[in-house]
Amino acid sequence: MFKVRMADAKFLKDMISAISILIDEATFDLTSDGIKLRAMDPSRVAMVDFEWQKTVFDEYVCGEAMKMCVNISEMMKLLRRTGKDESVELSLDEKTGRLKIAIKGKYTRTFNMPTLEAIEEEVPTPKVTFNVRAKTTTEGLREAIEDASLVSDHVRIEADNEKMVMQATGDIMGATIELKKGSDALLDIEAKEASKATFSLSYLSEIVKAAVATSDIATLEFSTDMPIKLDFKQPKEGKLTFYLAPRIEVE
Amino acid sequence: MSDRKPVVALQNPGVKRAAEFIREALSGRKALVIVGNCWVDYQGRASSKLEPGERIVLIKGDGSVLVHRPAGYEPVNWQPSGCLFETRVVGDVLHVRAIRRQPSESVRISFDSIYLVSVLSLVDKGEFSLYASEEDMQRAILLEPSLLEPDLKPIAYEKKVEPGFVDVYGIDGNGKFVVIEIKRKTAGREAALQLAKYVDSVRATVSREVRGILVAPRLSRGVQRLLVSLGLEFKSLDPKRCAEVLRRSESRKLAEFFGET
Repeated sequence: MFKVRMADAKFLKDMISAISILIDEATFDLTSDGIKLRAMDPSRVAMVDFEWQKTVFDEYVCGEAMKMCVNISEMMKLLRRTGKDESVELSLDEKTGRLKIAIKGKYTRTFNMPTLEAIEEEVPTPKVTFNVRAKTTTEGLREAIEDASLVSDHVRIEADNEKMVMQATGDIMGATIELKKGSDALLDIEAKEASKATFSLSYLSEIVKAAVATSDIATLEFSTDMPIKLDFKQPKEGKLTFYLAPRIEVE
Repeated sequence: MSDRKPVVALQNPGVKRAAEFIREALSGRKALVIVGNCWVDYQGRASSKLEPGERIVLIKGDGSVLVHRPAGYEPVNWQPSGCLFETRVVGDVLHVRAIRRQPSESVRISFDSIYLVSVLSLVDKGEFSLYASEEDMQRAILLEPSLLEPDLKPIAYEKKVEPGFVDVYGIDGNGKFVVIEIKRKTAGREAALQLAKYVDSVRATVSREVRGILVAPRLSRGVQRLLVSLGLEFKSLDPKRCAEVLRRSESRKLAEFFGET
């Protein structure tokens, strides 16, 4: 038996939307403690690691541990229908394998959608020793990445103990974005050694744009030519972390 | 090799005869083309049903399956390589089932009439190389202008001039303007004349010297002389080389980092 309720449907919508930018079919791990998901995008360049303890929900019932796989863009279509001050209830009918999504506000509508056969794939965590740890406002990070996206499709992120610099070089234009320690955008930075790595902006901007709705503070961790870890601090107990592989540097 | 029959075909064989023929081909791991009226049921990670219609079914030696409708480049149903097959005749209907274990899924194709069955024993050892498009060549030059000459600095691409669009527009090491026209294949007279028009058009608007460079893997006969008389240059550039440049700037995979400490 799996049945959960959330008083603010927007919370669920924003989270599913953040997950949907990387994956089409999501396999959630449902246990009595909460729900989890870890998956890579089809091109295997990025990973999402998501967790919501049962306390995030206003009601949470999960009998035995199980996996639930859903087409996430289909689920998003339904959740997009949620409005202000509406609640949402998810329940899984194990007999028919259908997921029921009840949205309650001025009126009640109950959608149902099929679940899919779960793909058993254990996705490990990238083992990286991070030399840089930067704490930013998610909004500040989003703005910086948007700036870089104007001129290029990739960005080099460099950091030391004082600042983080984004260097974007496009076909004909370039951009340098500097975030100083203690500014409104870069709250804190620690660097064991100065590091730099290049990332695809299409991934970065999609990730950050989607996460901004769920989180105010982001922690970036990276090392030279290693994947970047972007952790978006959740207001309630929970975790939303993305990993993104670096690009191979030209030259 | 001499007794090898690349193609054996049966026209309107009837369901029973077709079944035998198909079974034999499947057990010999040969490629098959079946054309007939069929319907398709898919069960697996999702399920689908394709109503009866006349289609082309390809089963390849590695156990992959493609069901093509008469139009469209994509198959309507397919299974990747490694399928196991089961054929059965029930009444006047031939069922061919392709089963995959992991993930567990199966496609059942049912024929009530078969127009053509061919068994193919094909040999193909050729390599496939994907070369860059003209647009890729342009991107590669923008990414690495030294492909053409040192100190070349692109400033615009697809720049509109009176007769059309300049592929790449830049400045060379001596401060001269450079107009670049790219061709993916052998460049002919038209390419040279087109470049000349662009160069003339740019010359009319700037007071600096303007160079025109035709970039292509090679030139047609006589075009080199034409270029010289027009005061233009040629630079040979292989699309394959451009593809390499582009590949170098691609993303790495996350899995490369699972094992590291």
